[in-house]
Amino acid sequence: MSKDINIHVEHLTRVEGHGNIILNAKNGKVEKVMWEVSEAPRLFEAFVRDKPYNQLAQITSRICGICSIGHTLASLKATEAAMGIEISEQSQKLRRLAIHGENMQSHILHVGYLVAPDLFGVGSVIPLVNTHKDAVLAIVNLHKLSNEFSDLICGRTTHPINLVPGGLWKSPSPIKLRAMRQKLVEAVPTANAVAEIVLANAGALPDFKRETEFIALVSKKEYAIYDGDIGSTDGGTYPVKDYRKIVNEFVVPQSTAKYTKHKRESFMVGALARYNLSSKQLHPLAKGWADRFGLKPVCHNPFMNNVAQLIEFVHSIEDSIAIIDNLLVNYKDEPRPKVKPKAGTGAGSVDVPRGILFHEYTYDAKGICTKANCVIPTNQNHNNIQHDFEAFAPTLLGKPEKEIELNLEMLVRAYDPCISCSTHYLKVEWNRGTLRDNEG
Amino acid sequence: MATDVQIHMVIDDKKITCKPNQTVLEVARANGIEIPTLCLNSLFPGHKVGSCRMCLVEIKGGGRPGLQPSCTLPVSSGLTLSTCSDTVYNARRTVVELFLTEHVQKCRDCPISGNCNFAKLCRDYDINGVPVCAECPNQGEGCLLKRGVLCLGPLTYANCNAYCTRKGYRCEGCHTIMVHDDIIKFGIRAYKDAGFKAKEVLEAAKVFSFDSIKALEKVMKEEGFI
Repeated sequence: MSKDINIHVEHLTRVEGHGNIILNAKNGKVEKVMWEVSEAPRLFEAFVRDKPYNQLAQITSRICGICSIGHTLASLKATEAAMGIEISEQSQKLRRLAIHGENMQSHILHVGYLVAPDLFGVGSVIPLVNTHKDAVLAIVNLHKLSNEFSDLICGRTTHPINLVPGGLWKSPSPIKLRAMRQKLVEAVPTANAVAEIVLANAGALPDFKRETEFIALVSKKEYAIYDGDIGSTDGGTYPVKDYRKIVNEFVVPQSTAKYTKHKRESFMVGALARYNLSSKQLHPLAKGWADRFGLKPVCHNPFMNNVAQLIEFVHSIEDSIAIIDNLLVNYKDEPRPKVKPKAGTGAGSVDVPRGILFHEYTYDAKGICTKANCVIPTNQNHNNIQHDFEAFAPTLLGKPEKEIELNLEMLVRAYDPCISCSTHYLKVEWNRGTLRDNEG
Repeated sequence: MATDVQIHMVIDDKKITCKPNQTVLEVARANGIEIPTLCLNSLFPGHKVGSCRMCLVEIKGGGRPGLQPSCTLPVSSGLTLSTCSDTVYNARRTVVELFLTEHVQKCRDCPISGNCNFAKLCRDYDINGVPVCAECPNQGEGCLLKRGVLCLGPLTYANCNAYCTRKGYRCEGCHTIMVHDDIIKFGIRAYKDAGFKAKEVLEAAKVFSFDSIKALEKVMKEEGFI
């Protein structure tokens, strides 16, 4: 090939935040392929310092509008670990429902609104309203249900107000829980219909494989998303408090977000990582869908992350129904938790829709935060996206430029990156000359 | 002939000569002096009943001293008027406030979204909205403050239909603290009555309204809360 290719996708669409794709090829050889994160830093870790323990979850939930529930839960778990607070079994279950609600919200948003247009070969979800009205309506209805579900448990659809250190501000009414269970049961056929449509169009997902490491929470009891230890497909489980040994953050010039690596050059987190590590613990319907999509652990095709999200959506519905059934057997209206602040350091982790999320805080004796660290899932994926680019781009060179561009965009979208989350911290260590205007 | 009669009057220290059988509002507007109106609207031509009281002007001489709606006040020789005195400003402000008590401020849901005449008047007269309490159904004995919950409703801008307090959660002040002194005074009294400490309230308000904290502290001092 003697074709020269210059692709520069500035501000990739249908992802959260600002990222750029750069591909330069000369004489059929890739000269440069780069995933650039240009989002301005957010500095959350700096401004939660000197804040009292009961405000931290409220503040850090604002890191993201999509995973606000996940950030709240990780933050609360870190605070509870630091102060040695035990929470009741009922609160644990309700919090599991909260994370399921968010998982459903985020996954259907991503698969339905952001990925589906790629599968149908259109630019956005709007043209699909004319061609696939039923599918779009089904997706909108599932999204609505997920929002209602989150609203019931968390008090709001985003930025929860009901989740507080030590448990929940108030227990949702059992009547409403029962009604929600009914709605979830009724949503199963709709979810199946959406999965059916995605399956029919799954051929549009490129067949690309690159061996990498997958990291997610693992638990012997359940398909871990709320609680567990850190697990890796390369073997070994680690306690959450040792998370720094897993993520090993480092800074690269092209990104305002930090990169991470573990045993290999990069690792991946997210729905596919969870599936690869805990597929045996999925509920039956979700397992059935995994079989129909031909998904088997360990799957090294990052594009299958979209499929894993869909499977998790179905799993979340099934698991939520099971949890509500279990909850309602012995449901109490629990009093508002009372917390006595204590000095200490603690880390909390939740597997949010985009992958494993860590928060770690240090408190003084009055419960004032003195140090904070948050490691966001997209942060952990950036390095893997870059390595995928390096492996994927050379295989694309024979194709027309538009198609190469689309394929690279699809690859980034498959990771469901939440870029503005990931650029929460910028440690300016590199040369001034490499800083672009908008960061300097 | 009567039509040749000229009327001489003074509006805002400006000498004006005009023809009779006109209202002060018409003459003022013809001379480039802006007087706000609500009920006098191009949608309702000929409707001049002086019902909204937005166009109040102050008579300083040449008539019975006091406030009069300019849309129904006929011009007369020797009238001396002010359209921008403190009395006029305060009276008009009260008028807007009274309207607000009946007006659901759902600007976020409204297609005009704060670009209406009324919203402009609110801004012109330094009225920045109503607190969450105005939309909250827990008023009276159901008030969260009375149940010992540090709710920021009394200090926070409404327009959310009291989403959180309606369900029994506290207001965390995410719409930011109102900086309008008069209105937060009521809020501060409510905290005082409920037995909260000023420090707690300030700490809670800081999360979303760091830049308004000094203003809040100042009013708290005036009210003897600190």
